[in-house]
Amino acid sequence: MASASAGSAAGSSLRRSRPRYGEAVIKGLLLAAALVSVATTVGIVASLLPPALRFFGEVGFGEFFGGTEWTPLFKPPSYGVLPLITATLTTTALAISVAVPIGLAAATYLSEYATPRTRKVLKPVLEVLAGIPTVVYGFFALTFFTPLLRDLWPGSGEGPEIFNGLSAGLIMGVMIVPTVASLSEDAMSAVPQSLRQGAYALGSTRRLVSIRVVLPAALSGIVAAIVLAISRAVGETMIVAIAAGLKPEFTLNPLQAMQTMTGYIAAAGEGDLPVASFDYTTIFAVGLLLFVLTFAMNFLSIRLVRKYREVYE
Amino acid sequence: MTTTSSRLSTSQGVPVTGRPGGAGPVQPTVVNDAVEGPFDLVDTVFEVADVSVFYGDYEAVRNVDMKIGKRRITAMIGPSGCGKSTLLRCFNRMNDLIPGTRLGGKITFHGEDLYGDHVDPIEVRRRIGMVFQKPNPFPKSIYDNIAYGPRVNGVKRGLDDLVEEALVGAALWDEVKDKLKQNALALSGGQQQRLCIARTIAVKPEVILMDEPCSALDPIATAKIEDLMQNLTRDYTIVIVTHNMQQAARVSHRTAFFTADVDREGVRHGRLVEYDETSKLFTTPSDERTEAYITGRFG
Ligand SMILES: Nc1ncnc2c1ncn2[C@@H]1O[C@H](COP(=O)(O)OP(=O)(O)O)[C@@H](O)[C@H]1O
Ligand SMILES: [Mg+2]
Repeated sequence: MASASAGSAAGSSLRRSRPRYGEAVIKGLLLAAALVSVATTVGIVASLLPPALRFFGEVGFGEFFGGTEWTPLFKPPSYGVLPLITATLTTTALAISVAVPIGLAAATYLSEYATPRTRKVLKPVLEVLAGIPTVVYGFFALTFFTPLLRDLWPGSGEGPEIFNGLSAGLIMGVMIVPTVASLSEDAMSAVPQSLRQGAYALGSTRRLVSIRVVLPAALSGIVAAIVLAISRAVGETMIVAIAAGLKPEFTLNPLQAMQTMTGYIAAAGEGDLPVASFDYTTIFAVGLLLFVLTFAMNFLSIRLVRKYREVYE
Repeated sequence: MTTTSSRLSTSQGVPVTGRPGGAGPVQPTVVNDAVEGPFDLVDTVFEVADVSVFYGDYEAVRNVDMKIGKRRITAMIGPSGCGKSTLLRCFNRMNDLIPGTRLGGKITFHGEDLYGDHVDPIEVRRRIGMVFQKPNPFPKSIYDNIAYGPRVNGVKRGLDDLVEEALVGAALWDEVKDKLKQNALALSGGQQQRLCIARTIAVKPEVILMDEPCSALDPIATAKIEDLMQNLTRDYTIVIVTHNMQQAARVSHRTAFFTADVDREGVRHGRLVEYDETSKLFTTPSDERTEAYITGRFG
């Protein structure tokens, strides 16, 4: 109707024939979706801060970060957070030492070596593995992997305790393998075929193409995968709560029982601490520390990726 | 662990050939006159005997016979889809990378079966380099792009000299000598393509295959690459696929004209129609299909 007069009614023919409210609505909805995550983050900080500030009003940073005993419920209490940090460090390091090499190897296999048919079968399997609830991994660590470790422990030493960081960390690594593999594979598959061809034409083997061309070109995606893996390991709760124990120990010895930051939050949160009590604020202090650590790590990784990635095109 | 005497089996170090490009008297630019004698007197690098190439069941190239002469530029022309790239990729076994590809007939390289049991495709590609249609520098520095080939072939010392030599040989040195650490992707398209040529000659191959190396470039960049090819024939054998007849006429000694035949089931197969001295093929073609193509009546 409007277009029928387009030729004759010069001047007005290029105007919008009817308003497009739909566009504005869609744009608004999408913006709202984006804002949800921002709002959640702000909300988390806002709810962590007041109790955490109350905690730090009574306990100085020196005691918190310098003390080697975490016994907030004892009389007299001790608020040194280092045991929780060493436990998180130990289990995370173990998990990463499993997840990154195996995940990268799996990704390299899928992206560079597997036939399209193998890839089509394996990749969904991997992604299903990523969906197993972590509580299952936790019991697997406690009831299967720890006894196995204790049975097979070589030499005369004690071997791992019933609850220990080793078993929890390693199984946590297994849990994270699919995440690292899947994300890294995406990054590697996105590297243009023309780069591989160029490398093959110079007499590269498949191994050299993978290591010297594909991996560096996919580096930003791979680093992102590793950072996500670290974040998951630091934040993982069920596996460590079940298999690593509930005893805050200032140690890096993975054979001992240990309590991570998340482990403490879970245990204390489930306990019967009165909500208004001072003890209750310890949860928020540890929670805030966890939040800051993860945030700093993500920030750092973004900087690293910007600096080292190879941009194709 | 190679027990065979085959020269194309697993490599041992990099043989040092003459300095590519570089100093020396400038060759005459009218290359067609540079052919010193009848083709039979030129050393044969490749001999293609009754070669067919299959992608799965599809026969993309059918029954090709041709010889490629040493230190000559051989051009392959013809309408698109007639199998030029397919045949070119057979010369350095790049087709091996495409699952389901199969070769019938025989291609020899200095008399040795290129597809023989003991032949290592990695070694083949080191001796027979390739430059692609779209420049494909690695997303690394200019220096690392050139050094890539020597490095993967185990060269550790003298890389600086190798890099300079290759860039001089590809007529790129003066433009990039002050920014070797800069990312190669910051170069212009023409410079990127010369970088890819430099990267190829840094491995010191004997043959350079080029698949429409100028089709993504402007006329000035194209002219530079064509000049460069002239200089490279002092040390290298070049096989170039081009859809640009003028380019074939300008640069090559011999030209092969391909076309696609349609068989009874309506399937297209690439065929070699005519292969001759470039001057002869473009002035007095012996096949009427060649004549139709070069006079622009078809394709
Ligand atoms: N990887 C491939 N798989 C299957 N068919 C292919 C493949 N590459 C090329 N072909 C087919 O082979 C024929 C020749 O292609 P190509 O060698 O690229 O021709 P040209 O380089 O002369 O344009 C075309 O019909 C093309 O569709
Ligand atoms: Mg082609």
